[in-house]
Amino acid sequence: MPDRTLNRICYVEDDEDIQRIVRMSLERVGKMTVEVVGDPTMAIEAMSAFKPDLVMLDWMMPKLDGPALFRQMQAHAELKSLPVVFITAKAAQRDLDELMAMGAVGTISKPFSPKDLPDQLREIWKKLP
Amino acid sequence: MNHSSTANGAALAVSENRLAPGMEERTDPRAVLTARVDQLYGQMWLGILTTFAIGAIATFELWELRLRELVLFWWGLVLLITAASAGLLYAYRSAPEKEANPEQWLRWLGIAALAAGANWGFAGAVFFPSHTDEQQVFLAFILTGMTAAGIPVYAASWPIFALYAAGILAPFTYVLATFGNRLFTEIALLVPMFYAINVAIAYRLTQVFLSGYRLRHAYGRLTQDYSVLNQRLERQLVELEEARRQVEASGRKLQLFAERAPIAVLELNAQGAITEVNHAAELLFGYAGTELIGSDFRFLVRPEHHEEFGRRWTRLVDTHSSEAGLIRTTRRDGIDLVCEWTVTPLVNPEGTIIAVLAQGRDVTAQREAERVKKEFTSTLSHELRTPLTSIIGSLQLINTGIVGDVPPDVAELTVVAERNGQRLLDLINDLLDIEKIESGKLSMAPEVLAIDDVVREAMVLNKAFGERFKVRFEMGSGLPGRQVTADRKRLLQVMTNLLSNAAKFSPEGNAVEIALRDDGSSVRVAVQDRGPGIPESFRTRIFGRFAQADSTATRQKGGTGLGLAICKRLIEMMHGKIGFEDRAGGGTTFWFELPRT
Repeated sequence: MPDRTLNRICYVEDDEDIQRIVRMSLERVGKMTVEVVGDPTMAIEAMSAFKPDLVMLDWMMPKLDGPALFRQMQAHAELKSLPVVFITAKAAQRDLDELMAMGAVGTISKPFSPKDLPDQLREIWKKLP
Repeated sequence: MNHSSTANGAALAVSENRLAPGMEERTDPRAVLTARVDQLYGQMWLGILTTFAIGAIATFELWELRLRELVLFWWGLVLLITAASAGLLYAYRSAPEKEANPEQWLRWLGIAALAAGANWGFAGAVFFPSHTDEQQVFLAFILTGMTAAGIPVYAASWPIFALYAAGILAPFTYVLATFGNRLFTEIALLVPMFYAINVAIAYRLTQVFLSGYRLRHAYGRLTQDYSVLNQRLERQLVELEEARRQVEASGRKLQLFAERAPIAVLELNAQGAITEVNHAAELLFGYAGTELIGSDFRFLVRPEHHEEFGRRWTRLVDTHSSEAGLIRTTRRDGIDLVCEWTVTPLVNPEGTIIAVLAQGRDVTAQREAERVKKEFTSTLSHELRTPLTSIIGSLQLINTGIVGDVPPDVAELTVVAERNGQRLLDLINDLLDIEKIESGKLSMAPEVLAIDDVVREAMVLNKAFGERFKVRFEMGSGLPGRQVTADRKRLLQVMTNLLSNAAKFSPEGNAVEIALRDDGSSVRVAVQDRGPGIPESFRTRIFGRFAQADSTATRQKGGTGLGLAICKRLIEMMHGKIGFEDRAGGGTTFWFELPRT
C-alpha cells in the first residue's frame, strides 16, 4: 500500500458525457483532483504535466486505443511506473484478463456506479505495493 | 471288343493287381459281404431249377421196379430240398433288412448247398452200385456236371462251393473206391484231385468277385463323394456369385454416395496425387475432374501451408492413421477457402496404402459468419453500454443527491428512469450470457467453495434489492464445511436470480427462507417464498427463454425473462440440477443441487 492517499487521477476518455460523470463522481463523491484528457494522442503530454497518482484509460478510443496508449506510456521513464486502471464496456472475462496480463493494476466495467467508483479505485490503490 | 467287355477286362485287370492303395480302405467289408450274399441268392433260383430238372430226369432214368421205393425216396428228397431252398430264397427276398445279418443268410445258404450236394452224393452212393453200366456213366456224368455247375453258382463264396462239392463227391468217391473194380479205384483216386481243382477255381473266382465288389463299392463311394463335392462346389459358386453381387451393389452405393455427397471427396494415391474426385470437389475448387486428376493435391493448398500439410501427410503415411483438421486452399479464381478435412488412408492387409480418401467440407462462409457474429455481439455490447453508462451514471448522481436536492416529483421520475436503465442493462447482460452459453463460449472458472459462504454473500449482495420489495432473506441452519466445485461468480449470479425472483413475488413484510441440505453426494440449496405460486400453464416453459408468467408482473417488477433460462444452463454447466416445487402452506420453492467436492 502506497504511503499517501489516492488523490490525483488522470482519465483518458473520448466520450464527453462519460468524462463529465467520472469527473463529477471523483471530484464530488471521492474528493479527488481529476485531469480529463479527451484526445488520447495528447495524453502522454498531459500526464507528464499533471503527474497523477493513478491513470484511468478507456479501451476503445478513435486514433489511439487504451492498450496502445498503455504501451506508449511504457516507453516513457517517468510514466512507466504509473498504475493504470482500464475502464471498458467490453464485458468478456477474456478481454479483462488480457488487460491484466498486459500490466494493468485493475479493470472497471462500464456501466459503473458513480457512487461507488472512488471506492473501487481506492480498493485497487490499497492493494498496490 | 464292345464296351462292356472292356469294362470287365479292366475290372479283372484291377483285381489281378489287388486294389489300388487307399481304395481298400474306402470299401466297407460288411457292404461287400452283403453284396456277395445278394449275388449268391440272386443265382439261387438257377440252382433250384437245375436241381429239380436234373433230379426229375435222373428219377426217370434210374426208375426200376426193384428199387422203386429207394428212387421215390430220393425223388422225395429232391423235392424237399428244392422246396426248402425255394422257401429260403423267398424268405431272403422278402426279408425287410437282409443287410442286418448277412452272415446268417450265408450260413443258411451253406446248409442248403450242403443238403443239395449231399442229396446228389446220396444218389451216387446208392444208385451207382445197383445200376447198369450205361446208367453208371449217366450218373457219373450227372455228378461231375452238377459239381462243375456249382462253380459259377457258388463262385461268390468258395467255402459254400467246397461244402456243396464235398457233399456230392465224398460218398461217390467212397463207392468208387470200394467197388472192387481197378478202373473205378483209379477214378476214386482222381476224384479228390478233381475236387481240389474245382475248389481252387472257386476260390480264385471268389477272389475275383471280391475284387469286383470292392471296386464297385469304392467306385460307388467315389461317385457319392464326387456328387457331394459337386453339390458343395455348386453351393459355393452360388454364394460367391451372391457375394460378388453384394460387393458390386455396395460399390455402386459407395460411388453414388461419393458422387452425390454435398461434401468434396477426393481419392489420392500414397504420393498425394489425385486419382478420383466427386462433383462437389469440382464445384469447391472450380476445376473439372479431368484437370484435377493426375495433379498433386498440394497445388490446391495455399503455399504458406505447404510445410504444415507436408508434415501431416508424412504422419498419415507413416502411422496409417487418419488426419482431421482445417486446411487452407485456393479456388481456381484465387479465392481462399477454409475446409474441414478428414483424410483417411486405405491400407491393405500387407500394410501398403492403396488409396487415401480426403473428405472436405467448406467452412469458409461458416467461419466468416461466426466472425461477423462475434464482432456484432462485441460491438452491440460496447455500443449499448457506453450510452447506458452515461444515462445510469447521470441518474445515479442525481438520485444519490450528490449534485444537490431536486423537487420530489422530479426525484420520483429520475428513480424510475434509473431503474429502467438498470433493467435495460440487465437485459443486455442476460442476452450476452445466453448468447455465450449457447455458442459454447462461456467458460467456467471452477474452484472449491464453501456453500455457506456463497449463499451468505448472495444474501448480502441482494439485501438492498429485497428491501425495495420490503422482503428480507433468512437462512436456517447452514451447512458448515460442505464444499462444492463451482464458478463463484456464476453461482452468485444464479443465487441473485433466485433471490430477486423470490423477493419480487413475495408479499410485503415477508421473509424468503433459504434452506441448505446435505444429500450425501450433493448439496441442495432451496429458496422458498410465500408468493402466489407458479401458474399451471407456465410450469413447462419456466426455464425457457423470455419466459414470464404474466407480462404485467414484468412491467411492475422488472426482469428480463431470461434469468431462469440462464440459471438452468449455468447449473447444468456446473454438473448440477435445478428445479422448483410448490411449497407446503403456499408459495414456491426453487432449488438447485450441486455435486459435493
